[in-house]
Amino acid sequence: MDWNWSEEHRAFRQKIRDVLEKHLPADWEAKSKLDTSSAYVSRFSREFCPILAREGLLIPHWPKAYGGGGVDAFHHWILGEEMFAVGDPRSYQYMNVNWVGPAILRYGTEAQKQEHIGRIAAGTHIWCQGFSEPSAGSDLASLTTRAERTGDGYVIDGMKIWTSGASLADYCFMLARTGGVRHEGISVFLVPMDAPGVRAKPIPNLMGEFSLHETVFDRVEVPESARLGDEGQGWSIVRQVMFNERIGQPRYTLAMRAMDRAVKRLKDKGRFGGQSMRTDAGRAHAALTAAQSLALKVIDGRVKGHPADAFTSVARYALVAADRQVADFLGAYLSDDLMAYADPLISAAYRRTGSTGIAAGAAEIQLNLVSRDYLHLPKG
Amino acid sequence: MDLDLTPDQAGLVDAVGKLTAPFATQPAGAAQDFLVSAELEDRLTESGFREVATIDGMGAVDAVLLTEAVAALPYVTEFAASAIVAPKLGIPAGRPTVLMQSPETPTRHLTGGGIALIADGGDVRVMDLTGCDIEVLKTPFGYPLGRLRSPEMDGERIVGTAPILRQWWHVALAAEIGAVARAAVDLAVQYVTDRRQFGRAIGSYQAVQHRLSECSVAVEAIRQLTRRAAATEDMQDALTAAAYAKEACAQIIYDTQQFHGAIGVTYEYPLHLWTYRLRLLQGELGSFAETASELADARWG
Repeated sequence: MDWNWSEEHRAFRQKIRDVLEKHLPADWEAKSKLDTSSAYVSRFSREFCPILAREGLLIPHWPKAYGGGGVDAFHHWILGEEMFAVGDPRSYQYMNVNWVGPAILRYGTEAQKQEHIGRIAAGTHIWCQGFSEPSAGSDLASLTTRAERTGDGYVIDGMKIWTSGASLADYCFMLARTGGVRHEGISVFLVPMDAPGVRAKPIPNLMGEFSLHETVFDRVEVPESARLGDEGQGWSIVRQVMFNERIGQPRYTLAMRAMDRAVKRLKDKGRFGGQSMRTDAGRAHAALTAAQSLALKVIDGRVKGHPADAFTSVARYALVAADRQVADFLGAYLSDDLMAYADPLISAAYRRTGSTGIAAGAAEIQLNLVSRDYLHLPKG
Repeated sequence: MDLDLTPDQAGLVDAVGKLTAPFATQPAGAAQDFLVSAELEDRLTESGFREVATIDGMGAVDAVLLTEAVAALPYVTEFAASAIVAPKLGIPAGRPTVLMQSPETPTRHLTGGGIALIADGGDVRVMDLTGCDIEVLKTPFGYPLGRLRSPEMDGERIVGTAPILRQWWHVALAAEIGAVARAAVDLAVQYVTDRRQFGRAIGSYQAVQHRLSECSVAVEAIRQLTRRAAATEDMQDALTAAAYAKEACAQIIYDTQQFHGAIGVTYEYPLHLWTYRLRLLQGELGSFAETASELADARWG
């Protein structure tokens, strides 16, 4: 057992920090508000991700045959830690490299790889994820968006909701029903967002500028080649995707930076002291370190090629719990700063904690999965 | 970074499991606050497991792995202090070791013999307990407890090592809490799987499932944090593991006992062996609040 980063891992982290130092503008925090979903960050990502690509830092964990560096999953995680710590200047392109690209590589045809992989690897396109629907949130298998067969393709009809980055995106990785009931009969489609009939309407929200949308698919015609994998294979593809997404973003790095900044601000104001405040700060730090340690255990399994299992949900729930501690600390002790928007980092961390227990499967769904697949408790 | 056990470590865990297998269940009819076994003591002493950290190529992580196994037994034996803490102070390995918060404090495993380690300012005193007059305390706290009748501090002084004692005491505590908490949660999972009410297993109710799942998240986190603290040898990591573990005790004690109903507070059923150990461990070397604020001081000054 070894909890220390290797020389190679440390050098990789330093290289990322050097690139961030060189290419993020000096007023990055003020301009970006560390909001992955903002128009500013998404525009920035279209310049920044090509730089990452040139530096070998966009898809280092992909196979070399597809332009990746062939390095282990810890490199990928280190990349995520460093990016998330500064509000992820890749915007939603983080999803491209974390799971959209890998899913296309795994399930796609040669033509689909030709069409999409090069653009993802170049860092020029943004993808969104069309999973949730008004009546299919936690119960995703009840989705009703349909893809009806036509002569040479499909017509997609339905509505997606909570779609992050939809109005910024070039493509949507979406689920639609091609037949069957529940988990059977769900298929994945790769749909251009400028296809006639696709409309994305931002939903004003507390998380970020363009982090939520209502996305309508109104008789959207797509060729058969837009379907990823076989008809009905969607559920097994999405399960794999969700395992990757649950422990996909090292959210704790932004929160750790925010805690460091918060304590510094409290000290500067002469307000850091008293056992209850220090206890709450220590509690938040311990929870964040627990989340990090469990996430690293998940990544260690990926490095070794172990199949993903319910331990992923154990780690995700720890992440949710940690973000909650951080929000409680910031809300309790720095409400003046939050109200005055005195520090973009603290405000961003505070804001982002609101979605940790909802995105990638509600916290209660994670607990269901832990109960069923980790503790093997009896079915209800 | 490699978070799996090495083959040597897996072998070690396997070996201690085999050695202690006869002591892995509570004997029928037992009805005590705690169980001890001279045979278990002899086996552990002969095995040399308490000295594992002093063996070439092994160290604190190996001592933690063995502690996780030994502390999860229904029988109690002093292991963590001698295997994890004493070697860090350069104390010859293998002697039963007691960690004392002060000469007056009721102390686990203080039953005579061995040594006591106690902070004296910035130093550590190594007190020989042979011949000490000890008052045995009758408590429900799941451990043999004693108190010195003449609470005086003496013994060899190891200069400047009090912070080392505290650091590794935190690690040892986290390892013990992690093991005991895991045993309590495992027992509760088994119980709610078997116990039926209203025509179904009580573990099929989401109200029960979610709380036990939360306990399980805590147990897994304690394990990783403790192993990390042993591997990095970092004071902040030690405080993090101890603070997290101590806070988790509250929910694990309450929920595992609650889901057992009345059987969980009887002597015939083994749950009390875990819950009452946790009740003691959650306050040793300071409360959760004190440990967490010490962590804040270590991180932010």
